[in-house]
Amino acid sequence: MRRSVRAFVLLLLLVTATTACGEGSVEDAAPAAGEAAPVDLSAFDGTVRIGAALSETGKFAVEGRDSRQGYNTWVRWVNEEYGGIRIGEGRYGAEIVYYDDESDADTAANLIQRLIDEDRVDFLLGPYSSGLTTGTSAIAEANNVIMVEGNGTSDTMFERGFRNLFLVATVASDYTKSAVEALAARGVRTAVIAHEDTTFPTSVAEGARRHLEANGIEVLAIEKYPKDIQDVSAIMTKFRNLGPDVFLGGGHYNDAVLFVNAADELGFEPDAMLITVGPSNPRLVEQLDDDVEGVLGPTQWEATMAYEGDWFGSAADYAAYYRRLWGEPPVYQAASATASALALHLAIEAAGSTDTDAVRQALRALRADTFYGPIAFDERGVNTAKPMGTIQVQDGEILVVAPDAAAVAALVYPRG
Amino acid sequence: MSYFAQALINGIALGGMYTILVLGFSIIWGVMGVINLAHGEFVMVGAYLAWMASDFWDVDPFVSAPAVFAVMLLFGYLVQRVLVNRIIDRPALVSLLVMFGISIILQSVMKVTFSADFRLANTDLDGAWRLTDRLTVPVTRFWVLVVAVGVTAGLNLFLGRSRLGKSIRAAAQNREAARIVGVDIRKVYAVTFALCIGLTGVAGALISPLLAVQPFQGPPLTLKAFAITAMAGLGSVRGALGGAMVLGLVEAMLALYVDRIGTNLAVVASFVLLVAALVLRPQGIFKGLRHVDATST
Repeated sequence: MRRSVRAFVLLLLLVTATTACGEGSVEDAAPAAGEAAPVDLSAFDGTVRIGAALSETGKFAVEGRDSRQGYNTWVRWVNEEYGGIRIGEGRYGAEIVYYDDESDADTAANLIQRLIDEDRVDFLLGPYSSGLTTGTSAIAEANNVIMVEGNGTSDTMFERGFRNLFLVATVASDYTKSAVEALAARGVRTAVIAHEDTTFPTSVAEGARRHLEANGIEVLAIEKYPKDIQDVSAIMTKFRNLGPDVFLGGGHYNDAVLFVNAADELGFEPDAMLITVGPSNPRLVEQLDDDVEGVLGPTQWEATMAYEGDWFGSAADYAAYYRRLWGEPPVYQAASATASALALHLAIEAAGSTDTDAVRQALRALRADTFYGPIAFDERGVNTAKPMGTIQVQDGEILVVAPDAAAVAALVYPRG
Repeated sequence: MSYFAQALINGIALGGMYTILVLGFSIIWGVMGVINLAHGEFVMVGAYLAWMASDFWDVDPFVSAPAVFAVMLLFGYLVQRVLVNRIIDRPALVSLLVMFGISIILQSVMKVTFSADFRLANTDLDGAWRLTDRLTVPVTRFWVLVVAVGVTAGLNLFLGRSRLGKSIRAAAQNREAARIVGVDIRKVYAVTFALCIGLTGVAGALISPLLAVQPFQGPPLTLKAFAITAMAGLGSVRGALGGAMVLGLVEAMLALYVDRIGTNLAVVASFVLLVAALVLRPQGIFKGLRHVDATST
């Protein structure tokens, strides 16, 4: 009996180890959802090997999957459609080695070290979230390996003077800029802010406060809350009593659910609600239905935006290609991931080699119009050419309402 | 005044949610001496069942809760017979490890089956009752509270009056003595575990319209259940209700009356209360069935 129990526990641990710690590269894993189909890289003159640690499990599993699909969209396109990365006279195939960072900073850091030391990757693409990018980019910097990313946008990462970290997306402090400007133009006077007490939401909130004050909007209160929060009723009660024109909430997907539900339950009806992550995701709109009507959200990218480039074509062309591959429309996290890989690809071609110094210089000099918007990095490594968009849920549809250049509908204010 | 009244309503509503979340965990720990580290994952499985009923057949989670209870009862019974029964006499660390293993397996199985996408069940019992302009009662949470109080009362009666309930309490207080007087410990444990997992599943069903359902929602819920149980008293039904209410109210008041960091403080509060209770009153504020530091036997 004892022996059988012992055997069972061993089996249990074995199953745990194999199911929970799923990891592997595109070579050894069978293509799953979001997986690049195996391509015969031997047909190319060589291979550019890129590494990425992404969250397949844990808190960021959804966004991690979207990012992975975004990277794989580029892999499929560059190998199958584009014919390989052009380095000098040669055509090089692209390969991404993936590991699951389990949404954990320590695991992600270990995996990045492993990608550099054991897998000997030439370049790195970023993980999802500012928290994970902060640690992993420090390891990339210490090892002098370039990391291009699109889903870790916290400002503090770019105040460290790193030479090897590049962000194609708009930085977190500018997430709410276009929304605040649009709201200010409609006569908004007061606002309240609630944000998760972690790196990225704090950057967004601090930026939001700056933009609000710069536009003459008074910030009545700022509330911080811990991650994995299960109830925001108290925050919303406090805000209801202050009666602001605008509510700004910054956190992650589940926080958007909590904010929208609590506002409904408490009868808190500000004229505008701007929520950092969630409203631009069709899944949230589907799940919360009427309650999310009129809610605003920042977006790095939408398929309806009027961006176009020589690679992938327009934003709509990219969305169509993505849908063909994965059977669903791309969310902005996926487009950011594809754009990161594309920026790296263009820099390698411009440099004519995979030498780190040459590619870094090429990234700094890069000026490209793409499906994702313009890309041009400043001295910090941040893409300052692309403005952040704002969407609003109108009749269950996610429509870009700001900035004016990208808008497809007028902002509805008050949200009614 | 209405500000305070709203805080009171928020706190009681939160307490109701905590009560239903903590009951199963508390009784398993109190009666069997097993710290169910997979508690949050059993909540998550119950939430998925309710979400499926809501999404596929348009059944309200409050209506599907009894069916979820039945399915989880069966699931709990199976887990108990196949696993827990075999490790009950082993050192506490073994049961801790096994429950931890189960939690990881459940997370992985649900992730593979349903992906990591967030889901929400739909309930018709949503929105708010507006008592005054500044005073509302959240409808979903109100009904969660009603179910929680009902279940607590029922469990209290069951444990206090029925023969099986008395056997469960006897097994909790002294397993060997209970065995000597003819209590079938294996049966008692099987019933206790199954019943508690059933209740935990109901908790999952009831929170499925409130918190996003996803494979990794369990650990913070387990942590909360742990803090409330250790603070209030292991295995005490009234303690679960009392502890959950105390914590719900403390959290709501702190979050409302302390600016900027109130919600952060509210999370710390449960552990401050836990440490204070462990030092000053190890049998729990509401006197549980056993001390926190009692061995598993």
